[in-house]
Amino acid sequence: MSTSVGAAGPAPQGTGPAKSPGRSGPSPRRGPLAPGGRTRRLLVATALGLLALSIARVMADEPVLTSSGTMTAVLGLSLPIALAGLAGLVSERAGVVNIGLEGMMILGTWGAGYGGYQYGVWGAFLGALLAGTFGGLLHAVATVSFGVDHIVSGVAINLLAAGAVRFLSELLYKGVPGGGPTQSPTVRGGVSTFDLPVLSSGPDLLGRAEDTGLPVVADLAGILRGFTTDLTVFAVLGLALFPFFAFFLWRTALGLRWRAAGENPYAAQSLGVDVYRMKYLAVLTSGALSGLGGLFIVLFSGLYKEGQTGGRGFIGLAAMIFGNWRPGGVVGGSLLFGFSDAVRLRSSGSGGVLALFLFAAILLAALAVRQLARGHRLHGAALAGIATAAALTWSGLDSLPNEVTTMTPYIVTLLVLVISSQNLRMPTYDGVVYRRGEDH
Amino acid sequence: MRRVTRVAALTTGVVLALSACSGGSDSSSDQGGSGELKVGMAFDTGGRGDGTFNDLAAAGLDTVKKDLKAQVQELSPDDQGSNRADLLRQLADDGHDPIIAVGFSYSEVTDTVAKEYPDVQFVVIDGSPSAVPNVAVKTFEEEQGSFLVGAVAALKSKTAHIGFIGGNESQLINKFHAGYVQGAKAVNPKIVLDDKRLAPGNSDAGWGDTQGAKVAATAMYQAGADIIYTAAGGSWGGSFPAAAAAPSRWAIGVDADQYNTVGDPKLQKIILTSMVKRVDNVVVNSVKEFQEKGKILTGSYGLKDKGVGFSVTGGFVEDIKSRIEGYEAKIIDGTLAVASAL
Repeated sequence: MSTSVGAAGPAPQGTGPAKSPGRSGPSPRRGPLAPGGRTRRLLVATALGLLALSIARVMADEPVLTSSGTMTAVLGLSLPIALAGLAGLVSERAGVVNIGLEGMMILGTWGAGYGGYQYGVWGAFLGALLAGTFGGLLHAVATVSFGVDHIVSGVAINLLAAGAVRFLSELLYKGVPGGGPTQSPTVRGGVSTFDLPVLSSGPDLLGRAEDTGLPVVADLAGILRGFTTDLTVFAVLGLALFPFFAFFLWRTALGLRWRAAGENPYAAQSLGVDVYRMKYLAVLTSGALSGLGGLFIVLFSGLYKEGQTGGRGFIGLAAMIFGNWRPGGVVGGSLLFGFSDAVRLRSSGSGGVLALFLFAAILLAALAVRQLARGHRLHGAALAGIATAAALTWSGLDSLPNEVTTMTPYIVTLLVLVISSQNLRMPTYDGVVYRRGEDH
Repeated sequence: MRRVTRVAALTTGVVLALSACSGGSDSSSDQGGSGELKVGMAFDTGGRGDGTFNDLAAAGLDTVKKDLKAQVQELSPDDQGSNRADLLRQLADDGHDPIIAVGFSYSEVTDTVAKEYPDVQFVVIDGSPSAVPNVAVKTFEEEQGSFLVGAVAALKSKTAHIGFIGGNESQLINKFHAGYVQGAKAVNPKIVLDDKRLAPGNSDAGWGDTQGAKVAATAMYQAGADIIYTAAGGSWGGSFPAAAAAPSRWAIGVDADQYNTVGDPKLQKIILTSMVKRVDNVVVNSVKEFQEKGKILTGSYGLKDKGVGFSVTGGFVEDIKSRIEGYEAKIIDGTLAVASAL
């Protein structure tokens, strides 16, 4: 999954040097699979990751690491976070910091709940889109037109959204069966899902391969099967948004203007770009995408419940930073978070989470070997140290306290952020209030 | 520029103010009768109409208003629950006595406010123990009701494998879990029991986590469990749909008789029974106690006082009802003791 998305996006994982904003064209082409090429690097990394996962699964005897059930959960848990991350990305690429993502997502869940209750899944889709866009509009008016500090406006939207949905629910769900001040009735007609024919249903070839339990083969089959079962039309649409925005923002003229508004609005202005319009467009899009993130949370269980976003908007923000403000990276960060969350929720006891430590140890050991081979002794030794610690945790402990297992996703995110933060670069004018003609 | 800043500041102010009031208390004062009894009630987040806990308290308050001819006023906190103390003070300032605070989260707040109004009787439903003289705490013996639904689950399970999903690891949720396990083991000592908590410690993060609950429930159902008891506030919104998505899987509700409140025929079909907490009975009894004795004492309500129980709505447990009532009778007469912790 991450492979195809990352491969389509021109700017996967924040390892390469940051591009200068004015250079929209691709770097000189050497063919996608040439040595050192981006696609090839990504393929190698994915293959190594799969191998490490498979080794961890066999060594720890925890099928939960790669089972199709886990992967279906990963998709369901990652998608809302990834969309929130993408929403943050499109906004910050135009220079507007959006910490109102959580609030816009809350509005999206409410819109999806109400639209779904009234008109079914397509109503939910429209409701989420409209409600989210409304949140975006508020943020755009405050930050772009009135020059309010982006953080202040974002916080206000988070508070406003939480209050507004309660108010609306009390108003509209009074006496409605199944509805109430904190919840909507279920989505009318239910949410229909489908599986990929032949491979994941009917003959279920992937399911059979998964049942063999063979190293790598069963793991790969489990991952592919998980990502191709219980799909909704909207999930496919949501996934397609990542390559779309990767292409749109980095390969089209409008995308270049969009990013120019975030990198250097005064330069853009001097070249005739209407920066205000770009920022409005970006923040409205950001609201709509957050709303879609809310839609996936609602469709996942088929109803709106107050508090069901549970801070996923903020986690999306972390995924965006983790992904270095790039679509491929956002997907990677969200998958990482969704994966550790799914393993925690699905494993009985804490065995699955402990197996994650083993997986991390194998990955870090591989990284350490690479660093040492390149002569980075200090870096390599540090990584090897962490790898040893993780391996010892796995082998030395029989179980983990629930406090630790529930924190796993956050610990993982923090660790990866610490390790990868060296290469991060945000848009230059991100969060800076822009006033036309005020440059110096 | 200056003007723009001022407009901006104003907008932000208005936005913040709006957010403050929309989330704030909605009060509805009712002149219920001519009696002198003025009963105040402060709901937990969710308020009247939440379909479970608060609605039960509201039903009790309605009875108080009708049968005891009391004047009642009810308030709901904002969704962050940050203005609970203000609600209690407001009720006390308006001359209400007794004042009923609904929900565990009022425990500390009520102690603080009660010290400011020593002549007013406060009651916290589901609260933690209090040393303040004018605070009474009414709790439930959830382990007893949970024992019964645990027995239902063990009798109805075809796979001899059942599950429990809790909102967190608090003492309260552990009581639900302990009773459930004891009830199930009383029927079948070899039954397999899964236990998953959505959030650690006393965290509130597990009360509305529909995604987490659905993932956890789906995993249990796939692993062979066929009945799951969810004691995690609104997170039933994830575990019930998980049951409905798989063939011959069941869910057990909590607090209210969720067969009646869930509002979707597809979900009704999978609600085997509910462990009901009769908050309504406790509200009415507390007010009666106040009328008769002038004060309310701390106490806990079990099967004997009809504070907890199991529901039969839907008719899925008709065939085993008599066996469950047998356990109920034994618990009531004391021959069967249910521990509140494992």
